[in-house]
Amino acid sequence: MTRPAGPPTPAPDGPKAVSRFEYNLVCVLRFLLGHFPADRGLQLVRAAAARPPCLSATAADLVKDSLAKACVLFLVRAGGWRDERFLRDRQPAGGRAWDRWPSDERALSFSGHVVEFLLWATAERVHETGASWDAPPAELTAADELFFWLAFDACRADGDLVAVLRRKAAFRQNRLLWLTAPAELTDDEEPAPPDFALWCAGTRAVVLECLQPVLTARWLRSERAKGQVGDWRRMRHQGRAEAATLAAFLDAAHAAGRTDLARFVLQTNSVLFRTDLAPDFWTEGLAAGGSPGRLADRLDARRAALAVPRQMDTLSNWQAAARGVGYFDDDYAASQLWKQTWEAADGDAVAARAAAAVAAIDPLRSGQPVAGSGQQADPTPAG
Amino acid sequence: MSRAYRITLKESETRRLTAGDEISTRLEILEILPPEDMATLLRNELKGRGFEEQPDGTLVRKDGDLSVTVDPCTGEVTVAAGAEATVSQEARRDATGFNDIGPNEGAMRDRVKDQLKQELDKRFEAEQQKLQARATERLEKHLNDIQPEVSEVVNKVTRDALKEKARQMGTVTEISEDEETGNLTIKLEV
Repeated sequence: MTRPAGPPTPAPDGPKAVSRFEYNLVCVLRFLLGHFPADRGLQLVRAAAARPPCLSATAADLVKDSLAKACVLFLVRAGGWRDERFLRDRQPAGGRAWDRWPSDERALSFSGHVVEFLLWATAERVHETGASWDAPPAELTAADELFFWLAFDACRADGDLVAVLRRKAAFRQNRLLWLTAPAELTDDEEPAPPDFALWCAGTRAVVLECLQPVLTARWLRSERAKGQVGDWRRMRHQGRAEAATLAAFLDAAHAAGRTDLARFVLQTNSVLFRTDLAPDFWTEGLAAGGSPGRLADRLDARRAALAVPRQMDTLSNWQAAARGVGYFDDDYAASQLWKQTWEAADGDAVAARAAAAVAAIDPLRSGQPVAGSGQQADPTPAG
Repeated sequence: MSRAYRITLKESETRRLTAGDEISTRLEILEILPPEDMATLLRNELKGRGFEEQPDGTLVRKDGDLSVTVDPCTGEVTVAAGAEATVSQEARRDATGFNDIGPNEGAMRDRVKDQLKQELDKRFEAEQQKLQARATERLEKHLNDIQPEVSEVVNKVTRDALKEKARQMGTVTEISEDEETGNLTIKLEV
Protein backbone atom coordinates (compact mmCIF):
# COMPACT_ATOMS: atom_id res chain seq x y z
CA MET A 1 0.00 0.00 0.00
CA THR A 2 1.15 3.36 -0.67
CA ARG A 3 0.27 6.37 1.32
CA PRO A 4 -1.94 8.83 -0.48
CA ALA A 5 -0.16 11.91 -1.74
CA GLY A 6 -0.40 14.82 0.68
CA PRO A 7 -1.08 18.41 -0.18
CA PRO A 8 1.60 20.09 -2.34
CA THR A 9 4.50 21.50 -0.40
CA PRO A 10 4.16 25.30 -0.21
CA ALA A 11 7.00 27.36 -1.63
CA PRO A 12 9.44 28.44 1.04
CA ASP A 13 8.98 31.98 2.33
CA GLY A 14 11.65 34.57 1.80
CA PRO A 15 13.30 36.23 -1.13
CA LYS A 16 13.47 34.39 -4.42
CA ALA A 17 16.90 33.21 -5.41
CA VAL A 18 18.42 34.75 -8.50
CA SER A 19 21.98 35.09 -9.83
CA ARG A 20 24.07 38.22 -9.16
CA PHE A 21 23.46 39.46 -12.73
CA GLU A 22 19.74 38.92 -12.39
CA TYR A 23 19.73 40.69 -9.07
CA ASN A 24 21.48 43.66 -10.67
CA LEU A 25 19.03 43.60 -13.57
CA VAL A 26 16.04 43.71 -11.24
CA CYS A 27 17.66 46.56 -9.30
CA VAL A 28 18.27 48.47 -12.55
CA LEU A 29 14.66 47.90 -13.55
CA ARG A 30 13.39 49.13 -10.20
CA PHE A 31 15.68 52.15 -10.41
CA LEU A 32 14.35 53.00 -13.87
CA LEU A 33 10.82 52.71 -12.53
CA GLY A 34 11.58 54.96 -9.57
CA HIS A 35 11.58 52.28 -6.86
CA PHE A 36 15.28 52.00 -6.11
CA PRO A 37 17.77 54.62 -4.87
CA ALA A 38 19.01 56.69 -7.81
CA ASP A 39 22.67 56.75 -6.78
CA ARG A 40 22.90 52.98 -6.56
CA GLY A 41 20.83 52.52 -9.68
CA LEU A 42 23.07 54.83 -11.70
CA GLN A 43 26.13 52.96 -10.41
CA LEU A 44 24.70 49.70 -11.71
CA VAL A 45 23.88 51.21 -15.11
CA ARG A 46 27.43 52.58 -15.36
CA ALA A 47 28.96 49.24 -14.34
CA ALA A 48 29.51 46.16 -16.49
CA ALA A 49 28.53 42.59 -15.64
CA ALA A 50 28.93 39.31 -17.49
CA ARG A 51 25.73 38.66 -19.37
CA PRO A 52 24.20 35.16 -19.07
CA PRO A 53 22.65 33.53 -22.13
CA CYS A 54 19.17 33.97 -20.70
CA LEU A 55 17.25 34.86 -17.58
CA SER A 56 15.96 32.26 -15.15
CA ALA A 57 12.20 31.81 -14.81
CA THR A 58 12.36 33.40 -11.34
CA ALA A 59 14.09 36.50 -12.67
CA ALA A 60 11.68 36.71 -15.60
CA ASP A 61 8.79 36.57 -13.13
CA LEU A 62 10.32 39.34 -11.05
CA VAL A 63 10.80 41.52 -14.15
CA LYS A 64 7.22 40.94 -15.25
CA ASP A 65 5.93 41.64 -11.77
CA SER A 66 7.92 44.86 -11.40
CA LEU A 67 6.97 46.15 -14.82
CA ALA A 68 3.30 45.38 -14.41
CA LYS A 69 2.93 46.80 -10.94
CA ALA A 70 5.24 49.81 -11.17
CA CYS A 71 3.94 51.13 -14.49
CA VAL A 72 0.32 50.78 -13.47
CA LEU A 73 1.08 52.33 -10.08
CA PHE A 74 2.83 55.21 -11.80
CA LEU A 75 -0.09 55.88 -14.12
CA VAL A 76 -2.60 55.67 -11.30
CA ARG A 77 -0.60 58.07 -9.16
CA ALA A 78 0.11 60.38 -12.09
CA GLY A 79 -3.55 61.05 -12.72
CA GLY A 80 -5.40 57.83 -13.41
CA TRP A 81 -7.01 58.00 -9.98
CA ARG A 82 -8.70 61.29 -10.75
CA ASP A 83 -12.40 61.27 -11.39
CA GLU A 84 -12.38 63.15 -14.68
CA ARG A 85 -14.12 63.23 -17.99
CA PHE A 86 -12.42 62.37 -21.26
CA LEU A 87 -13.72 61.49 -24.68
CA ARG A 88 -14.41 57.92 -25.57
CA ASP A 89 -15.86 57.27 -29.02
CA ARG A 90 -16.46 61.03 -29.25
CA GLN A 91 -18.63 60.95 -26.14
CA PRO A 92 -17.54 62.17 -22.71
CA ALA A 93 -16.89 59.33 -20.28
CA GLY A 94 -16.45 60.09 -16.59
CA GLY A 95 -14.79 58.36 -13.68
CA ARG A 96 -11.33 57.15 -12.87
CA ALA A 97 -9.19 55.66 -15.64
CA TRP A 98 -10.31 52.12 -14.80
CA ASP A 99 -13.95 53.22 -14.81
CA ARG A 100 -13.69 54.97 -18.16
CA TRP A 101 -11.98 52.19 -20.05
CA PRO A 102 -12.53 48.42 -20.04
CA SER A 103 -9.50 46.42 -18.96
CA ASP A 104 -8.72 45.07 -22.42
CA GLU A 105 -8.39 48.61 -23.80
CA ARG A 106 -6.10 49.82 -21.06
CA ALA A 107 -3.98 46.70 -20.55
CA LEU A 108 -0.26 47.34 -20.77
CA SER A 109 1.71 44.84 -22.76
CA PHE A 110 5.51 44.91 -22.86
CA SER A 111 7.54 43.55 -25.73
CA GLY A 112 10.87 41.76 -25.64
CA HIS A 113 12.62 45.04 -26.42
CA VAL A 114 12.25 46.10 -22.80
CA VAL A 115 13.97 42.97 -21.55
CA GLU A 116 16.68 43.33 -24.19
CA PHE A 117 17.25 46.89 -23.03
CA LEU A 118 17.47 45.77 -19.40
CA LEU A 119 19.98 43.05 -20.30
CA TRP A 120 22.06 45.61 -22.22
CA ALA A 121 21.83 48.26 -19.51
CA THR A 122 22.88 45.75 -16.85
CA ALA A 123 25.64 44.04 -18.83
CA GLU A 124 27.27 47.11 -20.39
CA ARG A 125 28.72 50.35 -19.15
CA VAL A 126 25.98 52.27 -20.89
CA HIS A 127 27.89 55.53 -21.01
CA GLU A 128 30.87 54.09 -22.87
CA THR A 129 29.78 50.82 -24.38
CA GLY A 130 30.39 49.88 -27.96
CA ALA A 131 27.76 47.15 -27.84
CA SER A 132 24.83 48.28 -29.85
CA TRP A 133 21.30 48.13 -28.64
CA ASP A 134 18.28 49.84 -30.07
CA ALA A 135 14.66 49.08 -30.71
CA PRO A 136 12.75 50.01 -33.86
CA PRO A 137 10.16 52.59 -32.73
CA ALA A 138 7.49 50.98 -34.92
CA GLU A 139 7.75 47.74 -32.92
CA LEU A 140 7.28 49.35 -29.53
CA THR A 141 4.00 49.01 -27.68
CA ALA A 142 2.39 51.77 -25.63
CA ALA A 143 3.78 50.16 -22.47
CA ASP A 144 7.27 49.99 -24.00
CA GLU A 145 7.19 53.68 -24.83
CA LEU A 146 5.98 54.49 -21.34
CA PHE A 147 8.81 52.41 -19.90
CA PHE A 148 11.49 54.02 -22.08
CA TRP A 149 10.18 57.44 -21.14
CA LEU A 150 10.43 56.57 -17.44
CA ALA A 151 13.89 55.09 -18.01
CA PHE A 152 15.16 58.25 -19.70
CA ASP A 153 13.72 60.32 -16.89
CA ALA A 154 15.46 58.20 -14.27
CA CYS A 155 18.82 58.64 -16.04
CA ARG A 156 18.38 62.37 -16.61
CA ALA A 157 20.65 63.28 -13.70
CA ASP A 158 23.58 61.65 -15.49
CA GLY A 159 24.60 63.67 -18.54
CA ASP A 160 26.76 60.87 -19.97
CA LEU A 161 23.89 58.41 -19.94
CA VAL A 162 21.49 60.92 -21.43
CA ALA A 163 23.96 61.64 -24.24
CA VAL A 164 24.05 57.93 -25.13
CA LEU A 165 20.35 57.23 -24.76
CA ARG A 166 19.18 60.21 -26.80
CA ARG A 167 20.98 58.82 -29.82
CA LYS A 168 18.92 55.62 -29.74
CA ALA A 169 15.84 55.55 -31.95
CA ALA A 170 13.80 54.02 -29.12
CA PHE A 171 14.31 57.24 -27.17
CA ARG A 172 14.75 59.70 -30.00
CA GLN A 173 11.34 58.84 -31.44
CA ASN A 174 9.63 58.45 -28.07
CA ARG A 175 6.52 60.63 -28.24
CA LEU A 176 6.27 61.01 -24.48
CA LEU A 177 9.82 62.27 -24.36
CA TRP A 178 9.04 64.72 -27.12
CA LEU A 179 6.01 65.87 -25.15
CA THR A 180 8.01 66.49 -22.01
CA ALA A 181 11.50 67.47 -23.12
CA PRO A 182 11.56 68.19 -26.86
CA ALA A 183 14.74 70.27 -26.77
CA GLU A 184 16.71 67.30 -25.44
CA LEU A 185 15.94 65.18 -28.48
CA THR A 186 16.97 67.41 -31.30
CA ASP A 187 19.98 69.43 -32.34
CA ASP A 188 18.39 70.72 -35.53
CA GLU A 189 17.58 74.34 -36.25
CA GLU A 190 14.23 73.18 -37.58
CA PRO A 191 13.09 70.37 -35.27
CA ALA A 192 11.00 67.62 -36.81
CA PRO A 193 8.91 65.97 -34.09
CA PRO A 194 7.35 62.57 -34.80
CA ASP A 195 3.72 62.08 -35.71
CA PHE A 196 1.53 61.98 -32.62
CA ALA A 197 -1.50 60.41 -34.31
CA LEU A 198 -0.74 57.04 -32.71
CA TRP A 199 -0.88 58.62 -29.28
CA CYS A 200 -4.38 59.96 -29.76
CA ALA A 201 -6.09 56.58 -29.85
CA GLY A 202 -6.17 53.24 -28.05
CA THR A 203 -4.07 52.41 -25.03
CA ARG A 204 -1.67 55.28 -25.73
CA ALA A 205 -4.51 57.77 -25.41
CA VAL A 206 -5.44 56.21 -22.05
CA VAL A 207 -1.83 56.69 -20.93
CA LEU A 208 -1.97 60.31 -22.06
CA GLU A 209 -5.19 60.83 -20.12
CA CYS A 210 -3.47 59.59 -16.98
CA LEU A 211 -0.43 61.75 -17.64
CA GLN A 212 -2.24 65.07 -18.00
CA PRO A 213 -1.29 66.37 -14.52
CA VAL A 214 2.32 65.24 -15.03
CA LEU A 215 2.51 66.94 -18.41
CA THR A 216 1.07 70.14 -16.97
CA ALA A 217 3.59 70.09 -14.14
CA ARG A 218 6.50 69.45 -16.52
CA TRP A 219 5.56 72.27 -18.87
CA LEU A 220 4.99 74.64 -15.99
CA ARG A 221 8.39 73.83 -14.56
CA SER A 222 9.99 74.34 -17.95
CA GLU A 223 8.22 77.67 -18.50
CA ARG A 224 9.18 78.94 -15.07
CA ALA A 225 12.79 77.95 -15.63
CA LYS A 226 13.06 79.91 -18.87
CA GLY A 227 13.61 83.12 -16.97
CA GLN A 228 16.94 81.66 -15.85
CA VAL A 229 18.15 80.82 -19.35
CA GLY A 230 20.96 83.18 -20.27
CA ASP A 231 22.03 81.68 -23.57
CA TRP A 232 20.20 83.13 -26.57
CA ARG A 233 20.94 80.16 -28.81
CA ARG A 234 19.76 77.69 -26.20
CA MET A 235 16.56 79.65 -25.73
CA ARG A 236 15.92 79.72 -29.45
CA HIS A 237 16.65 76.02 -29.77
CA GLN A 238 14.39 75.11 -26.86
CA GLY A 239 11.58 77.38 -28.01
CA ARG A 240 11.65 76.10 -31.55
CA ALA A 241 11.59 72.49 -30.39
CA GLU A 242 8.68 73.21 -28.08
CA ALA A 243 6.71 75.11 -30.70
CA ALA A 244 7.18 72.37 -33.30
CA THR A 245 6.24 69.63 -30.83
CA LEU A 246 3.17 71.32 -29.45
CA ALA A 247 1.97 72.29 -32.92
CA ALA A 248 2.39 68.70 -34.13
CA PHE A 249 0.64 67.32 -31.07
CA LEU A 250 -2.26 69.77 -31.24
CA ASP A 251 -2.72 69.00 -34.93
CA ALA A 252 -2.79 65.27 -34.22
CA ALA A 253 -5.19 65.62 -31.28
CA HIS A 254 -7.53 67.79 -33.32
CA ALA A 255 -7.42 65.47 -36.31
CA ALA A 256 -8.23 62.50 -34.06
CA GLY A 257 -11.10 64.36 -32.38
CA ARG A 258 -9.26 64.11 -29.05
CA THR A 259 -8.91 67.76 -28.13
CA ASP A 260 -9.34 66.65 -24.51
CA LEU A 261 -5.82 65.16 -24.65
CA ALA A 262 -4.42 68.68 -25.14
CA ARG A 263 -5.88 69.75 -21.81
CA PHE A 264 -2.40 70.05 -20.35
CA VAL A 265 -1.53 72.84 -22.79
CA LEU A 266 -4.56 74.81 -21.68
CA GLN A 267 -3.91 74.04 -18.02
CA THR A 268 -0.29 75.15 -18.30
CA ASN A 269 -1.30 78.46 -19.80
CA SER A 270 -4.11 78.81 -17.31
CA VAL A 271 -1.75 78.50 -14.35
CA LEU A 272 0.81 80.81 -15.97
CA PHE A 273 -1.67 83.48 -16.89
CA ARG A 274 -3.61 83.78 -13.68
CA THR A 275 -2.50 87.38 -13.93
CA ASP A 276 -0.95 89.43 -16.69
CA LEU A 277 2.58 88.41 -17.53
CA ALA A 278 5.20 90.45 -19.34
CA PRO A 279 7.58 88.70 -21.74
CA ASP A 280 10.35 89.30 -19.21
CA PHE A 281 8.95 86.36 -17.28
CA TRP A 282 10.47 84.15 -20.00
CA THR A 283 13.32 86.27 -21.27
CA GLU A 284 14.76 88.22 -18.37
CA GLY A 285 17.64 85.77 -18.05
CA LEU A 286 18.86 86.36 -21.57
CA ALA A 287 22.20 88.03 -21.09
CA ALA A 288 22.49 91.41 -22.73
CA GLY A 289 26.25 90.90 -22.99
CA GLY A 290 26.03 87.74 -25.07
CA SER A 291 23.14 88.86 -27.20
CA PRO A 292 23.29 88.25 -30.95
CA GLY A 293 24.28 91.27 -33.00
CA ARG A 294 21.27 91.17 -35.27
CA LEU A 295 17.94 92.35 -34.02
CA ALA A 296 16.35 89.62 -36.13
CA ASP A 297 18.19 86.95 -34.13
CA ARG A 298 17.33 88.53 -30.80
CA LEU A 299 13.70 88.76 -31.78
CA ASP A 300 13.76 85.17 -32.98
CA ALA A 301 15.02 83.95 -29.60
CA ARG A 302 12.52 86.08 -27.70
CA ARG A 303 9.65 84.88 -29.87
CA ALA A 304 10.76 81.28 -29.41
CA ALA A 305 10.74 81.73 -25.65
CA LEU A 306 6.98 82.21 -25.75
CA ALA A 307 6.24 78.98 -27.59
CA VAL A 308 3.70 77.83 -25.01
CA PRO A 309 1.58 81.01 -24.82
CA ARG A 310 1.55 81.01 -28.62
CA GLN A 311 -0.41 77.73 -28.56
CA MET A 312 -3.37 79.57 -27.08
CA ASP A 313 -4.06 80.77 -30.63
CA THR A 314 -4.80 77.22 -31.69
CA LEU A 315 -6.83 76.49 -28.58
CA SER A 316 -8.82 79.69 -29.12
CA ASN A 317 -9.63 78.50 -32.62
CA TRP A 318 -10.83 75.20 -31.16
CA GLN A 319 -13.00 77.10 -28.74
CA ALA A 320 -14.47 79.24 -31.55
CA ALA A 321 -15.18 76.08 -33.53
CA ALA A 322 -16.76 74.41 -30.48
CA ARG A 323 -19.04 77.39 -29.99
CA GLY A 324 -20.31 76.93 -33.51
CA VAL A 325 -21.27 73.27 -33.07
CA GLY A 326 -25.03 72.79 -32.94
CA TYR A 327 -27.07 70.44 -30.80
CA PHE A 328 -27.76 68.11 -33.69
CA ASP A 329 -24.17 68.01 -34.92
CA ASP A 330 -22.10 64.86 -34.48
CA ASP A 331 -19.49 66.50 -32.30
CA TYR A 332 -21.89 68.26 -29.98
CA ALA A 333 -20.97 66.26 -26.88
CA ALA A 334 -17.24 66.58 -27.57
CA SER A 335 -17.52 70.31 -28.16
CA GLN A 336 -19.49 70.70 -24.94
CA LEU A 337 -16.73 68.94 -23.04
CA TRP A 338 -14.12 71.21 -24.61
CA LYS A 339 -16.16 74.31 -23.75
CA GLN A 340 -16.47 73.16 -20.15
CA THR A 341 -12.72 72.62 -19.94
CA TRP A 342 -12.13 76.02 -21.51
CA GLU A 343 -14.44 77.79 -19.10
CA ALA A 344 -13.01 75.99 -16.09
CA ALA A 345 -9.58 77.22 -17.14
CA ASP A 346 -10.90 80.75 -17.70
CA GLY A 347 -9.85 80.28 -21.30
CA ASP A 348 -10.97 83.63 -22.70
CA ALA A 349 -9.00 85.64 -20.15
CA VAL A 350 -6.00 83.32 -20.44
CA ALA A 351 -6.03 83.59 -24.23
CA ALA A 352 -6.22 87.39 -24.04
CA ARG A 353 -3.32 87.57 -21.58
CA ALA A 354 -1.27 85.14 -23.64
CA ALA A 355 -1.94 87.12 -26.82
CA ALA A 356 -0.89 90.33 -25.05
CA ALA A 357 2.35 88.73 -23.87
CA VAL A 358 3.09 87.44 -27.37
CA ALA A 359 2.28 90.82 -28.93
CA ALA A 360 4.48 92.62 -26.42
CA ILE A 361 7.52 90.84 -27.88
CA ASP A 362 6.80 92.33 -31.25
CA PRO A 363 8.46 95.71 -31.75
CA LEU A 364 5.83 96.91 -34.21
CA ARG A 365 2.81 95.78 -32.24
CA SER A 366 3.75 96.46 -28.66
CA GLY A 367 3.70 100.22 -28.87
CA GLN A 368 6.87 100.15 -26.82
CA PRO A 369 10.22 101.58 -27.87
CA VAL A 370 12.74 99.09 -29.15
CA ALA A 371 15.57 99.10 -26.69
CA GLY A 372 19.05 98.64 -28.00
CA SER A 373 19.82 95.75 -25.69
CA GLY A 374 16.97 93.73 -27.08
CA GLN A 375 15.04 94.10 -23.81
CA GLN A 376 11.70 95.76 -23.97
CA ALA A 377 9.77 97.64 -21.38
CA ASP A 378 6.88 95.84 -19.75
CA PRO A 379 3.72 96.08 -21.74
CA THR A 380 0.29 96.54 -20.28
CA PRO A 381 -1.53 93.57 -21.69
CA ALA A 382 -5.25 93.55 -21.99
CA GLY A 383 -6.81 91.51 -19.25
CA MET B 1 79.37 81.90 -39.91
CA SER B 2 75.79 82.62 -39.05
CA ARG B 3 74.21 85.56 -40.85
CA ALA B 4 70.88 86.99 -39.88
CA TYR B 5 68.49 88.36 -42.41
CA ARG B 6 65.21 90.14 -42.07
CA ILE B 7 62.24 90.18 -44.38
CA THR B 8 59.34 92.60 -44.33
CA LEU B 9 56.05 91.68 -45.88
CA LYS B 10 53.11 93.92 -46.47
CA GLU B 11 49.65 92.78 -47.49
CA SER B 12 46.76 94.98 -48.38
CA GLU B 13 43.28 94.08 -49.40
CA THR B 14 40.07 95.85 -50.25
CA ARG B 15 36.76 94.17 -49.63
CA ARG B 16 33.16 95.16 -50.12
CA LEU B 17 31.35 94.43 -46.87
CA THR B 18 27.61 94.17 -46.55
CA ALA B 19 25.45 93.78 -43.47
CA GLY B 20 21.74 93.65 -42.99
CA ASP B 21 19.07 93.18 -40.39
CA GLU B 22 15.32 92.90 -40.61
CA ILE B 23 12.27 92.08 -38.63
CA SER B 24 8.92 90.84 -39.80
CA THR B 25 5.58 90.98 -38.15
CA ARG B 26 1.94 90.79 -39.08
CA LEU B 27 -0.42 93.71 -38.85
CA GLU B 28 -3.44 93.06 -36.67
CA ILE B 29 -6.18 94.06 -39.01
CA LEU B 30 -9.71 93.07 -38.07
CA GLU B 31 -11.68 91.23 -40.70
CA ILE B 32 -14.50 93.75 -40.95
CA LEU B 33 -14.78 93.29 -44.70
CA PRO B 34 -13.78 90.32 -46.85
CA PRO B 35 -9.97 89.85 -46.93
CA GLU B 36 -9.62 91.15 -50.50
CA ASP B 37 -11.50 94.36 -49.60
CA MET B 38 -9.36 94.84 -46.49
CA ALA B 39 -6.28 94.33 -48.65
CA THR B 40 -7.49 96.99 -51.07
CA LEU B 41 -8.05 99.47 -48.26
CA LEU B 42 -4.61 98.76 -46.88
CA ARG B 43 -3.04 99.07 -50.32
CA ASN B 44 -4.69 102.45 -50.94
CA GLU B 45 -3.69 103.76 -47.54
CA LEU B 46 -0.09 102.71 -48.02
CA LYS B 47 0.08 104.19 -51.51
CA GLY B 48 -1.05 107.47 -50.02
CA ARG B 49 1.92 107.27 -47.67
CA GLY B 50 4.51 106.89 -50.38
CA PHE B 51 4.62 103.11 -50.76
CA GLU B 52 5.12 101.80 -54.27
CA GLU B 53 3.45 98.67 -55.54
CA GLN B 54 5.79 95.97 -56.79
CA PRO B 55 5.10 93.37 -59.49
CA ASP B 56 4.62 90.73 -56.79
CA GLY B 57 1.82 92.76 -55.19
CA THR B 58 3.80 93.95 -52.18
CA LEU B 59 4.20 97.62 -51.36
CA VAL B 60 7.65 98.99 -50.64
CA ARG B 61 8.92 102.28 -49.33
CA LYS B 62 12.65 102.89 -49.30
CA ASP B 63 14.60 105.44 -47.40
CA GLY B 64 18.26 105.00 -48.24
CA ASP B 65 19.32 101.64 -46.89
CA LEU B 66 16.07 101.25 -45.00
CA SER B 67 13.05 99.63 -46.53
CA VAL B 68 9.56 98.81 -45.36
CA THR B 69 7.72 96.09 -47.27
CA VAL B 70 4.06 95.29 -46.71
CA ASP B 71 2.14 92.42 -48.21
CA PRO B 72 -1.44 93.76 -48.20
CA CYS B 73 -2.92 90.28 -48.64
CA THR B 74 -1.36 88.80 -45.51
CA GLY B 75 -0.62 91.99 -43.58
CA GLU B 76 3.02 90.92 -43.26
CA VAL B 77 5.33 93.87 -42.65
CA THR B 78 9.08 93.59 -43.06
CA VAL B 79 11.36 96.39 -41.98
CA ALA B 80 14.91 95.98 -43.18
CA ALA B 81 18.09 97.94 -42.85
CA GLY B 82 21.21 97.35 -44.87
CA ALA B 83 24.69 98.76 -44.81
CA GLU B 84 27.50 98.52 -47.29
CA ALA B 85 31.05 99.72 -47.17
CA THR B 86 34.23 99.31 -49.14
CA VAL B 87 36.97 98.74 -46.65
CA SER B 88 40.71 98.67 -47.25
CA GLN B 89 43.05 97.13 -44.78
CA GLU B 90 46.81 96.91 -44.73
CA ALA B 91 49.02 94.78 -42.55
CA ARG B 92 52.76 94.67 -42.26
CA ARG B 93 55.03 92.23 -40.51
CA ASP B 94 58.77 91.74 -40.06
CA ALA B 95 60.53 88.43 -39.51
CA THR B 96 64.11 87.47 -38.85
CA GLY B 97 65.90 84.30 -39.94
CA PHE B 98 69.42 82.88 -40.00
CA ASN B 99 71.10 81.39 -43.01
CA ASP B 100 72.49 78.40 -41.10
CA ILE B 101 69.84 77.44 -38.58
CA GLY B 102 66.87 78.62 -40.61
CA PRO B 103 64.12 78.92 -41.21
CA ASN B 104 64.82 79.30 -44.88
CA GLU B 105 63.51 82.36 -46.60
CA GLY B 106 60.76 80.63 -48.59
CA ALA B 107 59.28 78.92 -45.55
CA MET B 108 59.49 82.07 -43.49
CA ARG B 109 57.86 84.13 -46.21
CA ASP B 110 54.96 81.63 -46.44
CA ARG B 111 54.51 81.64 -42.69
CA VAL B 112 54.47 85.41 -42.47
CA LYS B 113 52.06 85.57 -45.41
CA ASP B 114 49.68 83.28 -43.57
CA GLN B 115 49.95 85.38 -40.44
CA LEU B 116 49.25 88.52 -42.43
CA LYS B 117 46.22 86.92 -44.03
CA GLN B 118 44.87 85.90 -40.64
CA GLU B 119 45.42 89.39 -39.32
CA LEU B 120 43.62 90.91 -42.29
CA ASP B 121 40.70 88.48 -41.86
CA LYS B 122 40.44 89.46 -38.23
CA ARG B 123 40.40 93.14 -39.08
CA PHE B 124 37.75 92.65 -41.76
CA GLU B 125 35.69 90.65 -39.29
CA ALA B 126 35.86 93.52 -36.81
CA GLU B 127 34.80 95.92 -39.56
CA GLN B 128 31.96 93.57 -40.49
CA GLN B 129 30.73 93.56 -36.90
CA LYS B 130 30.85 97.33 -36.78
CA LEU B 131 28.87 97.52 -39.99
CA GLN B 132 26.36 95.02 -38.65
CA ALA B 133 25.98 96.99 -35.45
CA ARG B 134 25.38 100.13 -37.50
CA ALA B 135 22.68 98.41 -39.58
CA THR B 136 20.99 97.05 -36.46
CA GLU B 137 21.13 100.41 -34.74
CA ARG B 138 19.54 102.06 -37.75
CA LEU B 139 16.84 99.41 -37.83
CA GLU B 140 16.05 99.85 -34.14
CA LYS B 141 15.84 103.60 -34.53
CA HIS B 142 13.68 103.25 -37.61
CA LEU B 143 11.36 100.87 -35.82
CA ASN B 144 10.77 103.43 -33.11
CA ASP B 145 9.99 106.00 -35.81
CA ILE B 146 7.71 103.78 -37.81
CA GLN B 147 5.70 102.38 -34.92
CA PRO B 148 3.24 105.28 -34.71
CA GLU B 149 2.77 105.23 -38.46
CA VAL B 150 1.94 101.53 -38.41
CA SER B 151 -0.67 102.15 -35.72
CA GLU B 152 -2.10 105.01 -37.76
CA VAL B 153 -2.34 102.83 -40.85
CA VAL B 154 -4.12 100.07 -38.95
CA ASN B 155 -6.53 102.53 -37.36
CA LYS B 156 -7.22 104.27 -40.66
CA VAL B 157 -7.89 101.00 -42.46
CA THR B 158 -10.17 99.87 -39.64
CA ARG B 159 -12.11 103.15 -39.73
CA ASP B 160 -12.48 103.00 -43.51
CA ALA B 161 -13.60 99.39 -43.31
CA LEU B 162 -16.22 100.27 -40.68
CA LYS B 163 -17.55 103.09 -42.82
CA GLU B 164 -17.73 100.83 -45.84
CA LYS B 165 -19.47 98.15 -43.83
CA ALA B 166 -21.97 100.69 -42.57
CA ARG B 167 -22.68 101.81 -46.14
CA GLN B 168 -23.33 98.20 -47.08
CA MET B 169 -25.77 97.81 -44.19
CA GLY B 170 -27.91 100.85 -44.90
CA THR B 171 -27.92 104.59 -45.47
CA VAL B 172 -25.34 106.43 -43.43
CA THR B 173 -26.91 109.50 -41.89
CA GLU B 174 -24.06 110.74 -39.75
CA ILE B 175 -20.40 110.01 -39.15
CA SER B 176 -18.47 111.64 -36.36
CA GLU B 177 -14.86 111.02 -35.51
CA ASP B 178 -12.96 112.13 -32.47
CA GLU B 179 -9.32 112.43 -33.42
CA GLU B 180 -8.15 112.57 -29.81
CA THR B 181 -9.91 109.54 -28.44
CA GLY B 182 -10.14 107.66 -31.71
CA ASN B 183 -13.90 107.22 -31.26
CA LEU B 184 -15.88 106.72 -34.43
CA THR B 185 -19.66 106.99 -34.38
CA ILE B 186 -21.66 106.02 -37.42
CA LYS B 187 -25.41 106.44 -37.55
CA LEU B 188 -27.28 104.70 -40.29
CA GLU B 189 -30.79 103.93 -41.37
CA VAL B 190 -31.45 100.35 -42.19
